[in-house]
Amino acid sequence: MPLPVKDILKMIADNTKKYGMPFPMPKEVIYKWADGLDLPKGGDTVLFTGLLYQMIPYINASIKYLESVEESKYLSVLMKAGGIVSVISKLLLRVSEEELKEQYEVLRGIAILLKKTGTQFGYLYENDMYSGALLYDMGLDNDFREYAVMVYNKLKSLGVRTLITIDPHTTYMMREVYKNIIPGYDLMVKNYFEILTNSSIEPTKILKESATLHDPCYYARYLKIIDEPRRLLEKGGINIMEPERNKELTFCCGGPIESITPGLSKRVAQLRVSELSIANKNIITMCPICYANLSRVKPKDVAVKDVSHYLYTIYR
Amino acid sequence: MKKIDAILKEIYTALDDQSLQSGLQRTLKNLLPASHKVLKRWPYLIKLADEVRKIREETLKNLDYYIDEIIKNVESINGKGYFAKDRHEAIKIIDEIVGNDRKLIVKAKSMVTEELKLREHLIEKGHIVYETDLGELLIQISKDKPMHAIAPAIHMSREKAVKLLKNIGVHVSEEMSYEDIVKGVRMFLREKFINADVGISGANVVAADSGATILISNEGNIRLSTILPPKHIAIASIEKIMPTINDAYKQALVQAGYAGLYPPTYLSLTAGPSSTADIEYHRVYGVHGPKEFHLILYDGGRSDAIKNQYLWEQLLCIKCGRCQAECPIWDLVANIWGGSVYGGPMGIVWTAITEDIDTAAQLALICLGCGRCKEVCPMKINMPDIIRYLKTYISKTII
Ligand code: SF4
Repeated sequence: MPLPVKDILKMIADNTKKYGMPFPMPKEVIYKWADGLDLPKGGDTVLFTGLLYQMIPYINASIKYLESVEESKYLSVLMKAGGIVSVISKLLLRVSEEELKEQYEVLRGIAILLKKTGTQFGYLYENDMYSGALLYDMGLDNDFREYAVMVYNKLKSLGVRTLITIDPHTTYMMREVYKNIIPGYDLMVKNYFEILTNSSIEPTKILKESATLHDPCYYARYLKIIDEPRRLLEKGGINIMEPERNKELTFCCGGPIESITPGLSKRVAQLRVSELSIANKNIITMCPICYANLSRVKPKDVAVKDVSHYLYTIYR
Repeated sequence: MKKIDAILKEIYTALDDQSLQSGLQRTLKNLLPASHKVLKRWPYLIKLADEVRKIREETLKNLDYYIDEIIKNVESINGKGYFAKDRHEAIKIIDEIVGNDRKLIVKAKSMVTEELKLREHLIEKGHIVYETDLGELLIQISKDKPMHAIAPAIHMSREKAVKLLKNIGVHVSEEMSYEDIVKGVRMFLREKFINADVGISGANVVAADSGATILISNEGNIRLSTILPPKHIAIASIEKIMPTINDAYKQALVQAGYAGLYPPTYLSLTAGPSSTADIEYHRVYGVHGPKEFHLILYDGGRSDAIKNQYLWEQLLCIKCGRCQAECPIWDLVANIWGGSVYGGPMGIVWTAITEDIDTAAQLALICLGCGRCKEVCPMKINMPDIIRYLKTYISKTII
């Protein structure tokens, strides 16, 4: 039974407006990862997480639920009983500490590496924000515009001038999309791969491992960030086994449609995982959405890890 | 208008359809490496594609002028040129040319005639119509929708194909080899070609300087359909216009190359009816080829689309089908993800142009926005951006 797409789009728009994120999660999850790192609060240059990594466990729980509804024959009954939307808003209680910790580790690793490069940056803690990427991707332009202006004004009022971004979606939004809709937009956007590559950071450990790299569509095609992660990994001894479709011709993980048609999204992910695992059974992802979607369908003998795990081990 | 839940239902049925899935996988296995190989072996096609995009952009800016030129120039080669704004006008012109008494008509595969639902119309009028492309003939008999511009029947197994062909009297059987099945079809259609009153084709390109049309084919059916019957009607949508024969050839080569069939077996130029003046310099029309040549330029929503900030760019499309084969969603469900004629990335936008923007907007919701289509498109059409624009259309109306 197809999902009520209209209601889901509305939920995404409403949640973003109300909570600043498409799938609600407790406020402290935004910044809890930074505990004990002593990152200065705010400043001219800030690490702007875009919240995607933190959101992954909540997205996973929501998609799992949506998938079960999509597969069920009793959708109409469920809808009458209060609707999908209200169920999703309660899912935030069901996310395990372990899943959250995994994502916190990614964020901590990135922050520690950035510190090591000597880059001066702060963090916004409770003011760290989501970019609104999903609103934009789904064509919810009015809601997106309003949201983006709010984000920009807030960043300006906090005195931010440069953002350090850590995922392809947030990087693309803040670097390319915002400037097209906000007159006078003047934030500088640096992606952490670019900072690491341009720094004098050197490996402290050489890994003798092979892995395959899944280029996210937004890094490879929209932002042309292709060589940077390869150089960083190869310097640390990683033997990158390229899949058949890579770089500018990389193949999507299926993530962008996971909330409105999880079953179809899963089939795309399966195509990609099987192609990647022909190249190598260790898959490196560079985007939290790719990580979530490929992990969902991977067979037991295949491992999916975020690139930051490797980079942290190599350069810490 | 087709709604998103109906679209999703069709998609999920297609995902479970074993025949479609195995047909698609087989086709993709051959199609994808083919186009990669072609571009590697004949890299000038990539350069040529850039050149063609530039020429097409300029041509679209002056389309009215080129339409007039073509109509004028077709007359100068003793053909007849027409302009049809919409389906109603096109059908009226075709009915007049074909005439009312029952005719035998052979058709070359053409997407614009799919838009016009021309075969269905002519049959309803009492004519006997045969598609002559093998895949399209199977589509005609099964009443399915073409799944791909070049390989319309990819979703059909050999068993099903044989069963369908038997239904219309082709002498084939399940035990026959592929070669013998094809031979059976050849024998069956040969007789239709010879006796046909009218041949109908599309046009891959039309050259404004002359009114000449160019058709690409591999089976050879297009030559027979356009040469043997005494009347040839070619229908070209107006975005197929290129300024000169030279430009038109370039476009045809790019289309064939990016479709993965290069060199095309046949590249046929038709400029007017067949004629001779070999006896005392007296001109006689209709020697071995048709006596009449009619060229219909069909608008069908294109001139409105030119004015749209986003949709206009799709008019650069040369319908090579490459974006379809490279799209993750198309790879799973083919043209099931599409309007009544076109599917896949280009198909969503073509549906907006030729059918209705509401259906296209509903279809657009399933697009991943991954951008592979733009990356592989010879015309570098920004389909992800156009499709995102279509999504904004739907969210404005449903929220
Ligand atoms: S959009 Fe581009 S790739 Fe797709 S059919 Fe048209 S020309 Fe070919």
